[in-house]
Amino acid sequence: MALNNAPSSGQLPPARYEAGVAEWMRENLFSSWFNGALTVASSVIVLLAAWFGLGWVFTTADWTVIVTIGGGFFIGQYNTELACPGQECFWRPQAGLLLVTLLLGMVWGIVGGVGKKVALSVAVVSAVLAFLPYDLESMGLDVRILLLANLPAVFAGYALVRYTSLITAQRVITFGVIVFLLILVLLRGIPGVPGLQPVSVVSWGGLMLNLLLAVAGIVLSLPIGIALALGRRSNLPIVKLLCVVFIEIFRGVPLITLLFMSQVLVPLAFPEDFPQNSVFRAAIIITLFSSAYMAENIRGGLQALSRGQVEAARALGLAGWQTTLLIELPQAIRNVIPAIVGQFIALFKDTSLVYIIGMLDVVEIGRAFIQGNPEYLGNARELFIFLAIVFWIFTYSMSYVSGRIEQHMGVGSR
Amino acid sequence: MATAMAANGNTETAEDIIICRNVNKWFGNFQALKDVTTTVKRGEKIVIVGPSGSGKSTFIRTINRLEEHQGGDIIVDGIELTKDVRNIDAIRSEVGMVFQQFNLFPHLTVMDNITLAPMKVRRWSRSQAEEVGLELLTRVGIPEQADKYPSELSGGQQQRVAIARALAMQPKIMLFDEPTSALDPEMINEVLDAMRELAYSGMTMMIVTHEIGFAREVADKIIMMDEGRIVEENTANDFFDNPKSDRTRLFLSQIL
Repeated sequence: MALNNAPSSGQLPPARYEAGVAEWMRENLFSSWFNGALTVASSVIVLLAAWFGLGWVFTTADWTVIVTIGGGFFIGQYNTELACPGQECFWRPQAGLLLVTLLLGMVWGIVGGVGKKVALSVAVVSAVLAFLPYDLESMGLDVRILLLANLPAVFAGYALVRYTSLITAQRVITFGVIVFLLILVLLRGIPGVPGLQPVSVVSWGGLMLNLLLAVAGIVLSLPIGIALALGRRSNLPIVKLLCVVFIEIFRGVPLITLLFMSQVLVPLAFPEDFPQNSVFRAAIIITLFSSAYMAENIRGGLQALSRGQVEAARALGLAGWQTTLLIELPQAIRNVIPAIVGQFIALFKDTSLVYIIGMLDVVEIGRAFIQGNPEYLGNARELFIFLAIVFWIFTYSMSYVSGRIEQHMGVGSR
Repeated sequence: MATAMAANGNTETAEDIIICRNVNKWFGNFQALKDVTTTVKRGEKIVIVGPSGSGKSTFIRTINRLEEHQGGDIIVDGIELTKDVRNIDAIRSEVGMVFQQFNLFPHLTVMDNITLAPMKVRRWSRSQAEEVGLELLTRVGIPEQADKYPSELSGGQQQRVAIARALAMQPKIMLFDEPTSALDPEMINEVLDAMRELAYSGMTMMIVTHEIGFAREVADKIIMMDEGRIVEENTANDFFDNPKSDRTRLFLSQIL
């Protein structure tokens, strides 16, 4: 008789699981005396850590070192008298940031979802920085206005995509490349143009330097890595040999060694009058180093594909290169997204190593500051915790975005 | 083309769309095909049977050069299969193939699986390719699955998509390599129905299968292979009721 209550399709509704708080705790936290003891012990550890940790953060710790370095974390010594004699240079990195938020707004308009979160977070954080309680002398009104402008910039980018037909997905990519090059020109300057006097790359530093190197490395190492992976699987012996040698050399030598060598070896690869500098050399080395790992990640993805995929494509009459581009690579890359993003994260963290060749990245800015100002020597702990958080925010964002991309592409489910 | 090959007991005529003469193939030291000689006429349905390891899959895979033969000639629709890449590509776009493991592209929707080759190889427009794609999906009975991904379909549905994908290139010949062997029993018939319909439409087909009932129903000719050789080539009725070779009789007694 009870069956008469079932839905007309003949299906029963799924069994309902209802449990109160007490029951949930009994099932999940105290299911046996041993699990109960583990729960208690780990709670105690967490509480103690939180108690002493937060206590230190809010009472003992002295965060003035962070405040004192301030903008230096972002742009290093870019705006100092030494780098920009007789002119104001702070607006150049800031204009670069504005271009980036405009670009992120466009990405938001195209992809929505996770693009919106990233674009708005960057814009909001930038805008909030405008309200830092510095006096006007150390952080002028113009600086604050340029920071605030990131909010309208992100919406302008979004609106350009949504309400005009000017910006397509393809144009966003082109615009991204243009933005990157524009930022390089802005930072480097153009001789003879007022307001854009050249600034030596020696003065480039801070998070700006880490991000420039990371973006260049990420954008270039993926295609180079793909080319190397395909080359290593090639039937042409010379191509294969070259790729294997390249990969094994760059994977086999520590990045620090490569960075040292870059100062002597990269110049050999270019004509004598080719304009190059330490940032350029470091970017090349970091890119090549990362490409070697990327190649092996992608090769792993290619190896994992069943032979049937290639056979089916070839049986349909697709040419070899079409099979690689349309069938093999999309599946291979999709399957190794976690490894690729892991490599991107490693690359971003590795950009710190450029201190080895005398560049002041965000970590080195802090370290050098403490070394130069012994009164802050006792605050190294605060400094490095702050730096750890900065790095973690970026790497976690990358990992979050990749997770969303995987979800969107149905990795693991189809 | 109408050369008589009396030595092998085969007669080639202009009607022949596939001609194999003394095809030999080795995997390392193992000889997988030994002097395989046969012809297939336009519109004929050939079923190839034999114990596993007898070379039947290898044989039909040489027809579209998924396996390279090392001796003898294979001529498909007047084009000889040689190392010449243009010939291989030309033949592949005339010969459709359906695999045991379906081999659908998991990163593409059902419709994109079907339209990919016509758009990239035949240079059709997307709208033209999708129109044909929908027609073919209707023909195999699953037009409503066009926007799904292969993993969302049952095995039988996936194999029907694979048939539609091969047909989208408008091939003259269809090769089936054990198309129902990876399927759950209740899904075998839906795939056989699609193949039956195709057979009655006049398509030239070479089918490796263990479905004896189906073979009896649609085959014009049955080829029995063992240890890389053709041991018997016979009409469907004679093959089952009046087999010429003892090996066939033994094989039939084991599977019937």
